[in-house]
Amino acid sequence: MSQNPFPLDKADLLKAYRTMRTIRDFEERLHVDFAKGDIPGFVHLYAGEEACATGIMMHLNDNDRIASTHRGHGHCIAKGVDVHAMMAEIYGRSTGACRGKGGSMHIADLSKGMMGANGILGAGAPLICGAALAAKVRGDRGVGITFVGDGASNQGTFLESLNLAAVWNLPVVFVVENNGYAESTAMEWAVSCDSYVDRATGFGMPGVTVDGTDFFAVYEAAGEIIRRARDGGGPALLECNMVRFYGHFEGDAQTYRAKGELEAIRASRDCLTILSERVIEAGVVSRDELQAIDREVADRIEDAVRAAKAAPLPEASDLLTDVYVAY
Amino acid sequence: MAPVVGIVANPVSARDIRRVVANATSLQIADRANILLRVLAALRACGVQDVVMMPEHGGIRSHVERGLVRARARGEDLYPAIHTVAMPVTGTAADTHRATREMRLAGVAAIVVLGGDGTHRAVAAECGAVPIAGISTGTNNAFPEHREPTITGLATGLAVTGRVPPHIAFAGNKRIDVSVNGGAVAEMALVDVALVTERYIGARALWRTENFRELYVTFADPEVIGMSAIAGLLEPVGRDESGGLMVRLAPGGSETGPASDPGTTTLLAPIAPGMMAPVSVTDWRRMPAGVPFVPKVTSGSIALDGERELSFTERDRLSLTLRDDAFHTVNVAAVMRHAGQNRLLTGTPVPVSADL
Ligand SMILES: Cc1ncc(C[n+]2csc(CCOP(=O)(O)OP(=O)(O)O)c2C)c(N)n1
Ligand SMILES: [Mg+2]
Repeated sequence: MSQNPFPLDKADLLKAYRTMRTIRDFEERLHVDFAKGDIPGFVHLYAGEEACATGIMMHLNDNDRIASTHRGHGHCIAKGVDVHAMMAEIYGRSTGACRGKGGSMHIADLSKGMMGANGILGAGAPLICGAALAAKVRGDRGVGITFVGDGASNQGTFLESLNLAAVWNLPVVFVVENNGYAESTAMEWAVSCDSYVDRATGFGMPGVTVDGTDFFAVYEAAGEIIRRARDGGGPALLECNMVRFYGHFEGDAQTYRAKGELEAIRASRDCLTILSERVIEAGVVSRDELQAIDREVADRIEDAVRAAKAAPLPEASDLLTDVYVAY
Repeated sequence: MAPVVGIVANPVSARDIRRVVANATSLQIADRANILLRVLAALRACGVQDVVMMPEHGGIRSHVERGLVRARARGEDLYPAIHTVAMPVTGTAADTHRATREMRLAGVAAIVVLGGDGTHRAVAAECGAVPIAGISTGTNNAFPEHREPTITGLATGLAVTGRVPPHIAFAGNKRIDVSVNGGAVAEMALVDVALVTERYIGARALWRTENFRELYVTFADPEVIGMSAIAGLLEPVGRDESGGLMVRLAPGGSETGPASDPGTTTLLAPIAPGMMAPVSVTDWRRMPAGVPFVPKVTSGSIALDGERELSFTERDRLSLTLRDDAFHTVNVAAVMRHAGQNRLLTGTPVPVSADL
C-alpha cells in the first residue's frame, strides 16, 4: 500500500464510504418499498447527494447541531442517527426515532445533535441560529449547520437567518444543497441574483461553491469553514452543486428533465463511484475492503426493514404523548 | 464587414475556499454584468457592431440583457448587438473550450475574457491565433492585468478595427505545457505550474505552503499574488522576456524565521489575497524556452495557475516545457499609448503641437 495522500486516515476514509453507502442503500431500499405501497406518507430521497452530508458531518461531533430539510435521511445517517430507528420511523412503527408519529420528514435525535428533518422549507435556518446562539453563550465551541435546497433558499426565513447569523456572529454554516431543481422548477427560473455566494456576500459573510459530488471537495471546504466558525470566526455559506438520482418525491414522473439527463448524471456524477475509484487508485483502500462494507451495509438495511415491519404501530392513546414539552 | 468580438464571461470564477481561508474578493454576478456593459460600450464606441457571447446559466447574460433593455427604454443606443454561441451549457470549463473553438471558427477578431487565471487558460487552450483581452474577475489573478475594463474594451475596439498596427496592438505570451507519460500535451498553464504533495484535487486552491515542492512560472512578478509572486520575490522575470523560472521548495516553512532545513531559505510571500505565508526555498534557476524539465517530485497533484487539476503517482512520467510566443493578447498599454500619440479618438484632426 502506498503512502496515504488524502486528508483523512484510512479508518476515516472507510467510515466516510460506509456512511455514503448506508445512505445510498437506505434510499434505494425505500425507493423499492415505497413503490410496493409498504410505506405511509411522503418520502424524498437523498440518493446522489451523499457526499455533501458526509463530507460535512465528518467534521462534527454530537454536541454540534444540524437542522435538516424534507430530504433529510442522508443528514440523519451522516449525523449518526440509528438506522433501525429511522427505518421504523419511516414505516410508522412505535420503535421509530419519533415513536412512529413523525415519519420521514420529522426524524430527529437530539442526543446526536440532529434537530430534525423539516417539512417546512427554510424552517431549519432560524432553528440553527438559536442552537448556535446557545453554543456561543455557553462557550462550548459547538457549531450549527443548516441545510437548505436551491428552492428553499428563497424563503424569507433563510434570508433573515443569514442576517441574524451575521450580525450576531454566530457559529453557523449555511449549506445550500443545489441539485438544480425545486420540485420541477429549474433553478435558473426561480433564483434572482443567480449565485448563493452573492447572497452571502450581501450579508457580509464569505460564501464558497464546491462540486458537491466530490467528497474531498466538500470535506476540505467544510473543514475550513467549520473550523473558522468554531474558533469564533463567524458564519459562512457553502454551496454544494449536486445531483439527485430519483424524482422530487417517490412517484414523481420527472417529465421536466432533459432526455438522457438521469442516465448521464448517474454515469458521470455518482459520488460513491468517484470516491471509491479515487481511494482505490491511490492504493490506500482495496476493492475487497469496500465490498466487505457493501455487504455489511446491505445486511444492516435488510435487518432494519425486517425489524421495522415486525414492530407494532403506535396506539391511539399515543396521540396525546410527546405533544408538549414541560420546561 | 465590421469585425466581431467574442466574449467569454465566467459566472463561477472567484467562488472557492479562498473566501474563507483568506479575505478574497467575491465579485457579484451583477458586478460582472456591469463590467461587461462597460466593455460593450467601449467596443461600440470604436465601431464594433456585433459581439458573440458564450452562453451560461450563472446569470451574467440575463443581467446584461436587463442593462440593454433599460438603455433602450431611455432611447440610448450604446451597445453592439449580442449574439450567443449555439451550444448546450454544462456549467464546466468545457463550455469555455467549446465556445472559444466556435468563436475561432466563426472568425472573431479578438476574445474578451472575464474570469480568473483558470478561465483565461481555458480560452488560451482553444483560441489559436485569435488574440485575448483579459479582465480579472477571479481570485489570485496573475495573468490578466488589473485595470478598468472600459480601457480594455477601448483598446480591443481600436485593435480589431485596424486603427493600431498589429505589431503594436498584439503581444506574444508564454505558456508551460505539461505532458504526462510522453503523450500529447495533457494540460498547460499560462502563469504557473505547482507540484504539491496532496494527491487529491479537493477544494482546488493552493494555500498549504508546507505541501509545495516545485514551481515553474512563465513570468516571475513581485507585483502579483500567488505562485508567480514566490518566484518574483526571488528573481523577477518579465512577461516579455524569453523563458521563465523554476523554484524548488521544501517542507517546513510553517513558521517565519530561520528555515528548518539548513540548505533552505524562508521566503515570506503573498500566496493568496491578504495571506502572507512562509515558504521554504531550496533553490531556483531559469527555465529556458523549449527545454523539457522533468520534476523530481514523484507523486502528488499538479496545480495549474493556482488550482489543483490532476493527480499523479510514481507510475506517471511528467515533463514540463515552456514555450515563448504561444498565443496572443491585446497589448492594452501599447494600444492606448499609440491612441494618445496619434490622437485616434479625436473627432477632427487637431494640431500636433500646442504651440500658440
Ligand atoms: C414553506 C413551504 N413551501 C412549499 C413547500 C412544498 N415543497 C416541498 S419540497 C419543495 C421544493 C424544494 O426544493 P429545494 O429547496 O430545491 O429542495 P430539493 O427538494 O431539491 O432537495 C416544495 C416547494 C413546503 N414544504 N414548504
Ligand atoms: Mg433543489
